[in-house]
Amino acid sequence: MKIVVLVKEVPDPNALRLDPRTGQLQPGTPTVANEYDLYGMEAAVALREAGHEAEIVVATLGSGRDPVNRCLAMGADRAVAIDDSSLTDGDSLATSKVLAAFLKDEGFDLLFLGQESSDSATGDIGPRLAAMLDLPVVSNLIGCDFDGSKLTLKREIEDGHQTLEVTPPAILCALSGLPDPRSPSLKGIMASRKKQTDVKTGSDIGVDAAPESIVSWGDLFIEEQESQGTIVESEDVDEAVDQFVAFLEEKRLI
Amino acid sequence: MADGSTILIVLESHEGTLRNTAFESFAAGRELAEATGGELVALAIGSGISDAAGELGSYGADRVLVADAPELSAITVDGYSAVIDKAIEQVSPGVILTAGTTAGRDVLSFLAGRHELAHLPDCTQLRVDGSELLARRPVYGNKMMTEVRSSLDKCVLATLHTGAFKAPEPDSSKSAPVESLDVSFADGDIRVTITGLESSAGQAADLTSADIVVIGGRGLGSEENYKLVQDLAEALGGAAGATRAVTDLGWRPHYEQVGQTGQKIAPKLYLGVGVSGAVQHTVGMVGSENITAINRDSAAPIFKMADFGLVGDLEEIVPKLIERIKAKKGS
Repeated sequence: MKIVVLVKEVPDPNALRLDPRTGQLQPGTPTVANEYDLYGMEAAVALREAGHEAEIVVATLGSGRDPVNRCLAMGADRAVAIDDSSLTDGDSLATSKVLAAFLKDEGFDLLFLGQESSDSATGDIGPRLAAMLDLPVVSNLIGCDFDGSKLTLKREIEDGHQTLEVTPPAILCALSGLPDPRSPSLKGIMASRKKQTDVKTGSDIGVDAAPESIVSWGDLFIEEQESQGTIVESEDVDEAVDQFVAFLEEKRLI
Repeated sequence: MADGSTILIVLESHEGTLRNTAFESFAAGRELAEATGGELVALAIGSGISDAAGELGSYGADRVLVADAPELSAITVDGYSAVIDKAIEQVSPGVILTAGTTAGRDVLSFLAGRHELAHLPDCTQLRVDGSELLARRPVYGNKMMTEVRSSLDKCVLATLHTGAFKAPEPDSSKSAPVESLDVSFADGDIRVTITGLESSAGQAADLTSADIVVIGGRGLGSEENYKLVQDLAEALGGAAGATRAVTDLGWRPHYEQVGQTGQKIAPKLYLGVGVSGAVQHTVGMVGSENITAINRDSAAPIFKMADFGLVGDLEEIVPKLIERIKAKKGS
């Protein structure tokens, strides 16, 4: 079995600061691997550890190498970095075209990726790839078992936890209800240094010109919802608690 | 009419009932139809929903399409996208809208992939701007907003942020013609087999019916601190619940989760303890009458929607609060 895991480098969700002059994130915002993608990576490694022979290939679109290096240290066998500056700023249509071209070339039985990326959060890529590659997609994944022929999956949806079955090849979009991604061990890190990362450009995967984007983004801004309420920020905890109790009494809640 | 002025809204159902959130698309759809001068067509999808679909004219649809088939009882990407494709053939919409549920987003993203169309997800505002559809949506974990736009030369798909649009009250004097879409499925058309649902509805009856709900979030810092949430709920005579971060961490069972993929609550008093106010949580509690919060981070989005908020250390505040409430109640 061949498993491909897609991982994206994103601005660190815990270090986001808006630069109001530019309407962009402040320059130099640190980056991390998209959290949900790492849950997909962990699920891939867990399948192999459950006794299913699998080659695990981690792939990224962009110039950052930290996310694929981390996945190599978690247990991926090799990495592909599609590193072509003309392809990295597309919308989800353009991005999925690039990834679909790569995936057709690479081939897979299972594709894991995060439910959404923490930056643009469209959740578009998994379902778009499924449509373009004519495969089933299962989103919001929180459980994954394989019996050698079919997958038994658990999803988190509005109505509760749904279980379903699907036969590979399939595309699975991971959520944080899956087992936590392992921290790379020292041994894993050492081993990853010997693993190969293929760097590919658009023409290597048959994408000669950047696909057209049809959705454009405006500037970032913070919506000033002026708080209607009373927000108490006081050194004096007793006084603050008194104010809260007074509020509850006024509203006849106690 | 194939001039792209038609607005198609897709209404999903679960086990024979149209979802409440589905009705929010009427508000957004009607506004767009006014702007394009086109018809508002409602497409209801499910099994055993034909009667309910007959009433959709009263919500403002000009025309109603119904796809009613046993295979559509549960939502699947393959089943729903096949139905929507039929509707596209029939009404050539300029915009397709649906509620931004887990399924709604999957299905429109999938169709966007199949037809190489734009999909604007999670829209909090939506309008026609010249020859484009313009949407406002949260990005970067709801910490920031942006505006996205796409040309209406081709059909544009959009999913709506839950709770951002208010479902209209039905007006029984209005009605609309209802047509059945002829849908049938062969073996293998739907490539996943749904085998079960561990429902979260029954187990959390306390949470959804309580007048007072205290919710613990990731800011609790430890599983042990959830005790503070339970004690506070008890002192207030209410129920305790959690955010997805907390249920994902395994501190609490899934059915206690309030949010997009959990329970929807609308108590008289909501009190978030260590809850930051991520959209995935707030869509499940936005209807609460009084929203209150305790959080260390004064920039937490929950304070933007709070009627009353305390900024500070919850380990210090909550025990004092419990003590004071008990004293008040005892007096």
